[in-house]
Amino acid sequence: MKILIVEDEQALYESIFAYFTDEGNVCEHAADFDTAIKKIELYSYDCILLDLGLPGGEGLEILSRVKKLNKKDGVLIISARHSLDDRLSGLDLGADDYLVKPFHLSELKARVSAIIRRKNFDGNNIIKFNEITVDVSAMMISINSNPVILTKKEFDLLVYLLSNKNKVVTKNAMAEHLWGDEMDLSDDFDFIYTHVKNLKKKLGEAGGKDYLKSVYGIGYKFSEA
Amino acid sequence: MKLSTRYNRVNILTASIAVIITGIIYYFFIHLILTNKLDKDLAVEENEIIQYTRIYRKLPLPASFLDQQISYRDSPGNANNIRNFSYTTLINQNRNEPGRSLVTTVNLKGKNIQVIITKSRVESEDLVRVILLITLAVTVVLLVSLFLINRYVLSRLWMPFYKTLKRMKAFEVTKMEAVSEVVTKIDEFIELDQSVNAMADRVKQDYKELKSFTDNASHEMMTPLAIINSKLDSLLQTEPFTAQQGVLLQDIYQAIGKLSRLHQSLLLLAKIENNLITDAQEIDFKILVESKVRQFHELFKRDRLIIDVKLDDKVLIMSRYLADIILNNLLSNAIRHNLPDGKIFIELSKKALVISNTGKNLKVKDKLFDRFSKSTESEGMGLGLAITKQICNLYGYQITYEPMNGMHKFSVLFGPEI
Repeated sequence: MKILIVEDEQALYESIFAYFTDEGNVCEHAADFDTAIKKIELYSYDCILLDLGLPGGEGLEILSRVKKLNKKDGVLIISARHSLDDRLSGLDLGADDYLVKPFHLSELKARVSAIIRRKNFDGNNIIKFNEITVDVSAMMISINSNPVILTKKEFDLLVYLLSNKNKVVTKNAMAEHLWGDEMDLSDDFDFIYTHVKNLKKKLGEAGGKDYLKSVYGIGYKFSEA
Repeated sequence: MKLSTRYNRVNILTASIAVIITGIIYYFFIHLILTNKLDKDLAVEENEIIQYTRIYRKLPLPASFLDQQISYRDSPGNANNIRNFSYTTLINQNRNEPGRSLVTTVNLKGKNIQVIITKSRVESEDLVRVILLITLAVTVVLLVSLFLINRYVLSRLWMPFYKTLKRMKAFEVTKMEAVSEVVTKIDEFIELDQSVNAMADRVKQDYKELKSFTDNASHEMMTPLAIINSKLDSLLQTEPFTAQQGVLLQDIYQAIGKLSRLHQSLLLLAKIENNLITDAQEIDFKILVESKVRQFHELFKRDRLIIDVKLDDKVLIMSRYLADIILNNLLSNAIRHNLPDGKIFIELSKKALVISNTGKNLKVKDKLFDRFSKSTESEGMGLGLAITKQICNLYGYQITYEPMNGMHKFSVLFGPEI
């Protein structure tokens, strides 16, 4: 995947860059308006991560430029602006998604993966991980062609973990992903544990290996090793 | 009552009264003047008769003219020196006409003779009548023209005022067009228009500043939080950790989550208070409550809470985002302050949404809806109910709390249907 990160905050860019680059993703960076415009005019990206407040111009301007150029690049707005009309005008202009800062990198990754899957919709809306196959559009999961019945939340959780495979994902991030960040969650995440336990059990029963590991009470990691 | 109607009414009323009074006075004065003139003529006539009798020692012939008759008769002895003006009728060519007569006495050869001089009043009566008619006509013309002027000219004069008023009513701070540019030559209205426009501009300016302040503040505060969060996420990928480090990381995440939620809540409060949330739409509250109950399902299950839901159809016009927040806050409150194996009742009717839950007794009953007021064991921020109340205020709903048989009962009264 080729990703353009339009973000003026160096520290934030570095984290996003580090999170996305392993696993063969190619990331490029634009720290201001003019660089971003130049890049989108010259190249195509699978997904553009677009910060709204930029030195030299307004992020939404870049978005409308992308649309004017008739590019198929997916656009995910990342902004500290929480105001609703910004959100709406961003989506109206054709952004694929909108993520409010501060966010978990795992959430960002899941959203970017979703956008890219949607962009390559023709037959490619399927995630494969060894023996596990997830058809996201049909909401079907199979292990070695055996269908597995999951609840909606378990399904969402699995897709989330697969989008962040080989990464440690915190319980906070999982909870926010499943219940929305507006829900004022209490501090104990036992119910996450229940979901993870059920998911593990169902995957195991269908013949899947145990990929889901707990990481010292902070969170979980979906990986082979 | 409209200003023009009121003005019209007062104007016409006073004009009519004034005209009637002056008319009456006018009539009496003219009548008096004419009578005086008649009396003078009669006196002249009397004088002539007296002169005549004094010179010729006989009475002049009793003459009968068209408008004047003189007759004599013997005076009763005792009635000496009578001189009397009076209204009479004059028989003129077998027609009765109003007349004025002077009864006086002349002394002829030691004999008192009564002389009655009568003059016709027809002419003067006619004159008075004509004058009265003219006055009446003038009055009617005056009143009608006053009425027409008031009705058409005044309402046209006030037109710019009503236009400005209409535009002020339609004024919305979030829309960026100017209030009005009313075309008029009346100084007061031009001034009013200018003041209204200036005020609207000021309000818009304030609104813009406030909006950009909240946006900037949010940006400036969220950015460091976003960096900390992302750095933590990066740090997390550099395992292995010890269990102790894991706990530390977990605590930091917790604190950051709390801080960003706090910040978002405060921003939200500011926005609601300043009316910056404007995406009102029709919301099927029943469906929304049902989906919220599903969403919270795991949390109910975790605490083994028994949920009792009774929902009627109810459609509200409000922001979807805020509707979400109200339900999130009330439901997570009901969960958080519940007892293990407790109960939650959710009841939605046409009039109100009532959420009651079992729980411990409260100490801070009156300050429940204040900011940052919370019980010591609560792990929330004490903003949830403050935000809920603000949202209710925004839409004119009423939120109340009452403890009831060990239950906490929160009701949102939707107010009259629009």
